[in-house]
Amino acid sequence: MSAEVLKYTREQIEELEVAPGFEHQNLEGWIPNFATDDEIREALEKAFDYRGDVTLTFKSGERIEAYIFNRLTGPSLASSLVQYFTPTANDKRKASYADIARLEFSGKDRAAGKHWEAWVEKYNQKKAAGEKNIALVPEALD
Amino acid sequence: MASIPISQVWTVVKYVWQQKLKGNKRYPLVLMLEPLFRCNLACAGCGKVQYPPHILKKQLTPEECFAAVEECGAPMVSIPGGEPLLHPQIVEIVNGLVARKKYIYLCTNALELKKRIHEFTPSKYLTFSVHLDGQKEHHDFSVCREGGYDIAIEGIKEAVKRGFRVTPNSTFFDGADPNSIRAYFDEIMAIGVEGMVLSPGYSYDKAPDQSHFMGRARVRKLFRAVLSNRKKSWKFNMSPLFLEFLMGDRNYECTPWGSPAYNIFGWQKPCYLLQDGYVDTFKELMEDTKWEEYGVASGNPKCANCMVSCGYEPTAVIDGFYSFKGFWAMVKGNFSLYKNDHALKQLNEWPSHSSTPLVQIAEPARAAEEINA
Repeated sequence: MSAEVLKYTREQIEELEVAPGFEHQNLEGWIPNFATDDEIREALEKAFDYRGDVTLTFKSGERIEAYIFNRLTGPSLASSLVQYFTPTANDKRKASYADIARLEFSGKDRAAGKHWEAWVEKYNQKKAAGEKNIALVPEALD
Repeated sequence: MASIPISQVWTVVKYVWQQKLKGNKRYPLVLMLEPLFRCNLACAGCGKVQYPPHILKKQLTPEECFAAVEECGAPMVSIPGGEPLLHPQIVEIVNGLVARKKYIYLCTNALELKKRIHEFTPSKYLTFSVHLDGQKEHHDFSVCREGGYDIAIEGIKEAVKRGFRVTPNSTFFDGADPNSIRAYFDEIMAIGVEGMVLSPGYSYDKAPDQSHFMGRARVRKLFRAVLSNRKKSWKFNMSPLFLEFLMGDRNYECTPWGSPAYNIFGWQKPCYLLQDGYVDTFKELMEDTKWEEYGVASGNPKCANCMVSCGYEPTAVIDGFYSFKGFWAMVKGNFSLYKNDHALKQLNEWPSHSSTPLVQIAEPARAAEEINA
């Protein structure tokens, strides 16, 4: 959420006509620096908010694709955890922040570019071309 | 007027008073049970389905659903998603919850309803809560699918014919036209549904679209225009006090623990709308969540525009059942048509085509004509 929103008072919130939405950064393809504790924490927080898979490389050398759905932050990297699913396993897994050597926002952002105006533009183009049953369809799962 | 059956109201009243007598300050009223995130629609405003394929393929088993329901203990269970009718064991899940005497709201876009309705058995415990965002063009545009409304209506008619409880569930976004919404109420009540459910949209963090959500002032303006000067034929499957909150007649704080959410990730903190993390047990959710960090009063910007039913209807229900004043307001609200000349004037002066391109619909009859007829 933007810093501007954080300044709003209760009264200002009550008077809001239009809700400011969440500002998504374009993270697809990004490889954050992992030099300091703060950088690691900030990057993994962004991975938790990300709408796609990431690639984690562990200090052991293991490299996995994962969807990070949770993070539990503690006072140290060793006591902070991410929880994730991988594409090939059914169970939830955990990893300590301290064990992660590298993070890549490797997967597709599943919502990027699919905003309302894109749908309206697509609809109007197809309508003008005489198409019927115009729709956005969910992406194939396989 | 409210349309909720007396047996369901009595179950909730009894439950609320049991919690009060036990001294429980925080307790759930409706479990939001999301058995999967897979959907057959791709709505721009939806923040529930933006996941990679391997997540969308996952689903809760019936046993996991039953365990969550038992753990939570809420008298009502809403089953949203994703599209629950895509779950291969949804009938087993529903039957198991009916056997546990839980009042279920099975939320569906109804694209599969007509095909699958024969698999379900009518029960006072089972309601199909069909996603319909207004009149035909509005709904089709909102769910990004032409023809979606017609399919949903066919499903609703079939369900009503077979004796099921059906409550269309509408979410309204910026640009919604109150005259069209009122015309939609007429159309949908004429089909014979039990009652309607309404909510303003919430700007989910993960939704593709982030710019068509109403702020609180605009929500109140819209719902005052829509819900004042009601027709006797309109019935709502909601607390009248929550509707008064939407109209700006009441100030409520959010009750985020009133509608806890459980899905493939676990118990979602803090509520159905916000994803601030997950815990493994319901007890952890209730005891370890920093509740004071959520709701408008907290100043949390993620809660700034929220007036959604899952947070505020529990507040309204508890208000209505805890005090004589609240109960009396609820009784009055049930029978009031909320006559309001100023709201009628606003309705008649409402620009028929708003600033967003959402409205691509023939102009509905103006309210003055309806009222004067």
